[in-house]
This record gives sequence, structure tokens and C-alpha cells, in this order.
Amino acid sequence: MLRIENLSKRFGKNTASEVLAIDGLSLRVSPGEFACVIGSNGAGKSTLLACVSGATRPDEGKIVLEGEDITRQPENKRAGKIGRVFQDPLSGTCASMTIEENMALANRRGKPRTLRMGITKKEREKFREALSELNLGLENRLRDPVGLLSGGQRQSLSLIMATLVRPTLLLLDEHTAALDPKTANLVMNLTAEVVEKEKLTTVMITHNMRLALLHGTRLLMMHRGQILLDFDELSKSKLTLQDLLEKFDVALPENNTAGVLSDRMLLG
Amino acid sequence: MTFFAFFGAVELGLVYGLMTMGVFITFRVLNFPDLTVDGSLPLGAAVASVCVAGGMNPFFALIFATLAGFLAGTITGFLTTKLRILHLLASILTMTALYSVNIRVMGGRPNISLLGKRTVFDPVFSLGLPNYLAYNLVFLAFVAAIVAILAWLVKTEYGQSLLATGDNPRMITAMGVNTHFTIITGVGISNALVALSGGLVAQYQGTADVSMGVGTIVAGLASIVVGETLFGTRRVTGAIIAAVLGSVVYRLAIALALGLKFKRFSFTASDLNLITALLVVIALTVPLLKSRLKKRKKGAPFGKKPC
Ligand SMILES: Nc1ncnc2c1ncn2[C@@H]1O[C@H](COP(=O)(O)OP(=O)(O)OP(=O)(O)O)[C@@H](O)[C@H]1O
Ligand SMILES: [Mg+2]
Repeated sequence: MLRIENLSKRFGKNTASEVLAIDGLSLRVSPGEFACVIGSNGAGKSTLLACVSGATRPDEGKIVLEGEDITRQPENKRAGKIGRVFQDPLSGTCASMTIEENMALANRRGKPRTLRMGITKKEREKFREALSELNLGLENRLRDPVGLLSGGQRQSLSLIMATLVRPTLLLLDEHTAALDPKTANLVMNLTAEVVEKEKLTTVMITHNMRLALLHGTRLLMMHRGQILLDFDELSKSKLTLQDLLEKFDVALPENNTAGVLSDRMLLG
Repeated sequence: MTFFAFFGAVELGLVYGLMTMGVFITFRVLNFPDLTVDGSLPLGAAVASVCVAGGMNPFFALIFATLAGFLAGTITGFLTTKLRILHLLASILTMTALYSVNIRVMGGRPNISLLGKRTVFDPVFSLGLPNYLAYNLVFLAFVAAIVAILAWLVKTEYGQSLLATGDNPRMITAMGVNTHFTIITGVGISNALVALSGGLVAQYQGTADVSMGVGTIVAGLASIVVGETLFGTRRVTGAIIAAVLGSVVYRLAIALALGLKFKRFSFTASDLNLITALLVVIALTVPLLKSRLKKRKKGAPFGKKPC
């Protein structure tokens, strides 16, 4: 499904501020897997997803999605296979365009844009249906500009939009981090529901260890551009928060837990 | 203002309304301050004039002018996307280059006269209409046609991706759109309209001049802000129509200003730039004052992006 081989990415090459964001990382994600990625600030989580989505070009290594080498493929070309929700609720939608226009853009992900109508009647029905499952009342606001929606509403909409065309791979980068706890919970539950129902192969970054233990079928911990710990579904199910903290301690003897894991990560 | 001054101002408002719609596409839709227009307006005038002077049908001449403008716009788009030159600078480079190109197009001369040549107004004149009606009728037909085309275009899949490119390039890239393509073609379409406007102005004034493009962008922006202030709407098509109306109001305001007399003082044509700048400042401050006086209305007008 997703195969990452020996991936490396360096920022600010040959400058004083050079950082090795991804350091020879290899990873395989099987179809239907829901992998949660945790790790301290600057561990390289976002950079890893950026390499997969094409927003960043890696320096070395290979990324293969469904047997196709996409390492050098432009971002917009691979968009057909990859659904994304960003951390910033403002990033995933067009504020000046209406809800239905945004959804119509998403409904054409990976397809060429022609001179046919941008929204069809049939689509509106599909959108209304998809929105009614959110229970946010958005199904009656199809012609409202997205700029009028709250952050949580926009993020829920982004999630629906990312899955409107079934993605081969769904990438979520801390997509609940900018929301208040209650809304974050709502969006997270929606995520789990959608991923489960559609059996989507998903990679989700989170700072919240509790969420990472609660959701998903696999848990990865990143540190300094590498994958430090990798739990499959079975071992993850037996894992407690305390175990995770201890394991992290053992894996990183030079650090104490408090130094590497922020409070945000524990309590999120 | 006299009757004829009024109609003359409306004529200018309509013919430059085509240019204003072009500027609207770059400035408001694509969020791209494009100075290419100062060069593509005379480019359109030059191409149309050379074609007409060479005996070509004046309507076909406008098609060539439009194509030339499109090409000029794509060059700016290419410079800014593929060569990563800052958009403002890229457009200045094209504009500067166009100055030389325009003189080449006119066979090495800085202007061309169309005296006695056929123009797009001839068919309407032959109906026996008075001048002021004939010009307005032709310009209105062009404006209506372009508004209709743009209203359709923004509703297409391509048009929607164009709107999204200006609003949120990161999002629309994630939706599989090549923003280089939308920017290059979008700036192309914008300058196509500006060149069409230039071609018509040349046939209207009976001459094309290499310096006729100076201040095009400022006039376009002034028209847009005037239109937004007076007729602003949230919908794109409404905003496009508002831009044309803004262009008419702008030309009327100028005609009015030129007719003012304060004892011995009166404005001259060379004061136009000052008047325009003042107009833009006023138009830009009115919404600010409004919002201070009362809370913002639901939904910002198109182009003023809410977050
Ligand atoms: N565009 C960039 N230019 C320079 N350095 C960068 C850039 N993007 C990331 N980095 C650096 O690469 C490293 C990894 O960053 P990345 O954003 O991937 O971390 P992260 O795991 O997502 O962290 P966080 O949890 O804070 O989001 C960091 O040291 C960061 O400073
Ligand atoms: Mg990150």
C-alpha cells in the first residue's frame, strides 16, 4: 500500500541552521490500517506527511503508493489518491466560496477541470446527504460562504471533503489541535467513524497520547526524524498511557520523560 | 455637465469597463497585482489598429488584439510561476517589454491613425443612429457579451478552480489542481480583456498610441473600488457587474471634476492622476468608516476575504 524506503529530508542545507528533519526513515502501511503518529515537537512528523503528499521533495529515498513510485510526482498529480486535512481549519477550505462550491472542488479531486458546470444538481443531493451525517445543520446552508463557519464546522467539512472522493490514503496532521476540547472530540469521533466505515488507510499525527491509544490500529512514535517505536493493533490494545511513557523512557535513556514529552502530549 | 459630456463619460466607462473586468480577474479573483495591463492595453490598440489599417475586418482585428493580450498575460504568468519572479515584478517586466513590442507592432512608430478606416461602429452608424447612441450601443453589447461569458466561466469547473487558486492555493493544490496552469491562463484571460478594451478604444478614438496605457492599472483599481463601495455584492458575477458600473461612475466623476470651476481655478486633464488617486483613497476609506460606525454586515463583499 504505502511503502516508504530510506527517506531523508534536510532543511537549510549548508547553512548554520541545517536540520535533518527525516533521517533514513522506512515505513510500510498496509491497506485499511489506521496509523497514529506521535512524537515530540520537531520530530519530523509533519515533514514526513509533507513528503508523502508532495508538498515537500525528499532528498533521498523512495515513496511508493499502491505500487506506483510517487517520490517525484507533483503534489497536484498525486492528489487524486491522497485525501488531506490540515491542522489549521482555514487551510482546508476556501473562505470566500460557498459550502457547496468547496465540496464540488473536493468532489473533483484528481480529475481534470473542464468547462463543464462546476456543480451539478445530482452533486448537491450527494453533498446534502454527506453533510446531514455531521448533525451540524450544514445541509441547509449549502450556499453560505465557508468563511462564516466556525473552526470546528470548517474542520468537519474538510474531513468530509477529504473523503468525498475515496482516497487511497488519508493524511491527517493534527487536524483537531486547533479546536477547543469539546469540538476536537467531536471531530475526532467523526474521523474514527468515517475511517472505520470506509475502511480508509489512514496516517494521523496527533500530540495527544490518549487519542493515539484510543484510536487507530497502529501506533508509531517518531523522534529526530526516525520511527522509534511501532506497536501493532494487538500490542497497542494492551498498552496503557503509563506503559507508553515508560517505553519512551527506555528507548531514549538520555532524556527524561518530562523533557521529551510536553504536557500538551499527555493531556492534549 | 453637458448632455454630450455625460454620454462621452458613459462611453469611456463602458469601453474601459472591459479593461476593469480584466483587472478584476487578476486583482480580486487571483489576488495578483498585475501591471501588465499598462502594456497590454496599448498592445490591443496597436494590434487592432495595424489589422484595421491593413484592411482587415474590424471585428476580426479585435480577435487578434484579444489573442495578443492573452499571450502577454501568459508571459507574466509564466515568469511568476515557472521562473518564480515576484508577481508584481514579473508584470512590470512584461509591461516594460511590451513598450518595445508595441512600437514594433506599429511598424516602428509610436502611434497609428485610423482616420477613414472601417471600424466596428460602422454597422451601427449605417442604421442612422446619432454618434453618442451608436458608441454606447456597441460598447454595451461588448460589455454584455463579456459579462455573460465571465458569468458562465466562473461557474465552470475551470472557473471554480480559478477562484479557489486566488482564495487558497494550498487547498486547491490538494484537490489536484495545477495552480501554475490556473494562474497563467487566468492572467492571460485578464489581459485578453484589457487588450480587447484597448482595441476598441483605438477604433473609438481613431488612433493607437504607445503611451495610451499609462495609468491603466490605477484607473482599473479605482473603478473596482468605486464599484465595490457603491454596488458591492458577495457573488462573483455581481462583483464583476459592480466593477463595470464602478468604471462608469469613475469616468462620470472625472468628467464632473473636469467641469468644476472655483472662481478662477478649474481642473485640467493633467490633474486626472491626482483626482484618481484621491478617488481611490476615498473609496478605500469609506468601508473602513462604515465598519467603524456599525458592526460588519453578514458576509464580506467578494474579494475581501473573511477568515
Ligand atoms: N520549511 C522548513 N524550513 C526549515 N526547517 C524546517 C521546515 N519545516 C520543518 N523544519 C524543521 O524540521 C524539523 C521537523 O519539523 P516538523 O514540522 O516535521 O516536526 P513535527 O514533528 O511536525 O513537529 P510539531 O509536533 O511541532 O508539529 C524541525 O526541526 C523543523 O524546525
Ligand atoms: Mg507538525
